[in-house]
Amino acid sequence: MENTRANTPILEVENLTKNFGGIAAVKDISFEVREGQIFGCIGPNGAGKTTLFSLIAGALKPSSGRVRSRGQDITGVKPFRLVRAGIARTHQIVRPFREMTVLENVKLASYFGGETPPGAEAAERHAMENLAWFGLDRFAQRPASILSVGLQKRLEIARAMATNPSLLLCDEICGGLTHVETAAMLDLLRRIREKGTTVMYVEHDVKAIAAVCDRIMVLNYGKKLSEGTPDHIQSDAAVIEAYLGHPPVKGEKSE
Amino acid sequence: MSETSAPLSIPWLVKRQNDALLWTLLAGLAILPLLVSSPNLIRLLFMTFLWVTTSVAWNLIGGFAGQVSFGFAVFYGIGAYTTALAMNAGVNPWSAFLGSAITAAVASLIVGLPTFRLRGPYFAIATIGISEAVRVVMTNLSFTGGASGYRIVEHCAFRQLEHYYAALVLAFIAAAISIFISRTRFGLGLNAIRQDEDAAADLGVNPFAYKLGSHALAAALTGMAGGVFARYAAFIHPQGVFGFHTSVHILLMPVIGGIATVWGPVLGGVVFGIVEEEIIASFPEIHLLIYGALLILIILAEPGGILGAFRKLYRRLHGKHAG
Repeated sequence: MENTRANTPILEVENLTKNFGGIAAVKDISFEVREGQIFGCIGPNGAGKTTLFSLIAGALKPSSGRVRSRGQDITGVKPFRLVRAGIARTHQIVRPFREMTVLENVKLASYFGGETPPGAEAAERHAMENLAWFGLDRFAQRPASILSVGLQKRLEIARAMATNPSLLLCDEICGGLTHVETAAMLDLLRRIREKGTTVMYVEHDVKAIAAVCDRIMVLNYGKKLSEGTPDHIQSDAAVIEAYLGHPPVKGEKSE
Repeated sequence: MSETSAPLSIPWLVKRQNDALLWTLLAGLAILPLLVSSPNLIRLLFMTFLWVTTSVAWNLIGGFAGQVSFGFAVFYGIGAYTTALAMNAGVNPWSAFLGSAITAAVASLIVGLPTFRLRGPYFAIATIGISEAVRVVMTNLSFTGGASGYRIVEHCAFRQLEHYYAALVLAFIAAAISIFISRTRFGLGLNAIRQDEDAAADLGVNPFAYKLGSHALAAALTGMAGGVFARYAAFIHPQGVFGFHTSVHILLMPVIGGIATVWGPVLGGVVFGIVEEEIIASFPEIHLLIYGALLILIILAEPGGILGAFRKLYRRLHGKHAG
């Protein structure tokens, strides 16, 4: 039992495709995320990262292909069921409930994110513990709207983590942050993994993703370009070409 | 335990105050008829209680959950006709009111199942269409008398105070439900749906089920108000209980008082109950126009309604950090 569980990927994506009209935003992508990994997904703007992310998180329905978690088919499962099953997500553009306090934001996740709802006191205690873990406890009673962008990003992750996920899907959490803030955010991801949560991290900043990920997948024009360890990815000719471009080759039209 | 929960529970005092206010109001209004015997005042308060009920009910879905409906006349009317038909069939009024709650709640599910898949303005527009369709059907339905209305025959003396207390208890129940919900997991979930439905779903809230649930509760209360009104009026007609102006009234009151708050809709219901007859009497031709203008004015000048204006004033007087 233990063995099969360790060998079954926590996330298994098989030939996932999404067409918008006649255009394939995501085309025939397959990969696996293993328990305990920080799995990165990078690609230039418009590579299909966010679409892929939305397909896995249940916000979009795929045109074809399957998504599985620990062997269970979760293709097209609605987000509120997905989070109760242990798969939580964060948003690229933070979406705090601005008219709630910081505590209420996290308490909501404690209340609703599990299989069975806890009591009011248990939810509040759990939320407070989470805020403390993320260093947000001193803002507990303040409205979420007063937090700085960096702290709002932290709240976004704290809220997702308050649902006790086994898999956390992170969408570009370092966008718009300073170097110091980015370093702190990446450190947070490592600590989340140490806590026992597997992370899939989507980002367009190569440095950030190479610094924390065990394994990286590179997307370009909706297709999987490459996959491997950070070292492997950074030396992959196809990846370098996708990111930095290449000198024009004879006979090829420039766009 | 109490050490860790005490500093967190700032709303504790507010909680006590709200409870105290609610019970004081109930006690005061319960003994009022013993002190003053003015049938006219009792009638005015009776109508005000019904308006408060519908206003608080509308706020459960339109305020707490942020799903603005222009179709609450459907539930008010269905409640009114259910009580009327049931009482004429020999059912006692209290069971008839309960029947009104049930038929209105069922109607809310029929309205909600297709329309809660729509978002934002589309839900509001759909409720207008449904409301008008129901009114037209009721105008042409022969067994309820169609456009010429329906009469309730009660074979006992008219006791105004019985109606008064029925309406008072109903308004109290509505306010108590609203206060209770605002403190629960259900209330927090609705609040999240109002602010960002997708973000709420991403944290485990089932928006569709929550909207259906609060809509049904709101409809049940509105239906009972319709039933209590029908028994009092003893005569109802589709242009009245099912009229678009009824939907507008029910929506206007929470907006006047302060949307998505506990006391705003109560306040709005009281203000409306007092000025409504005056406005209709003074401007019979253009009273809907006045309501429309009032609605626009509030949304532009103070979206928080009377309560919102009070809060701003309080903050200005007590410095920026209060509240």
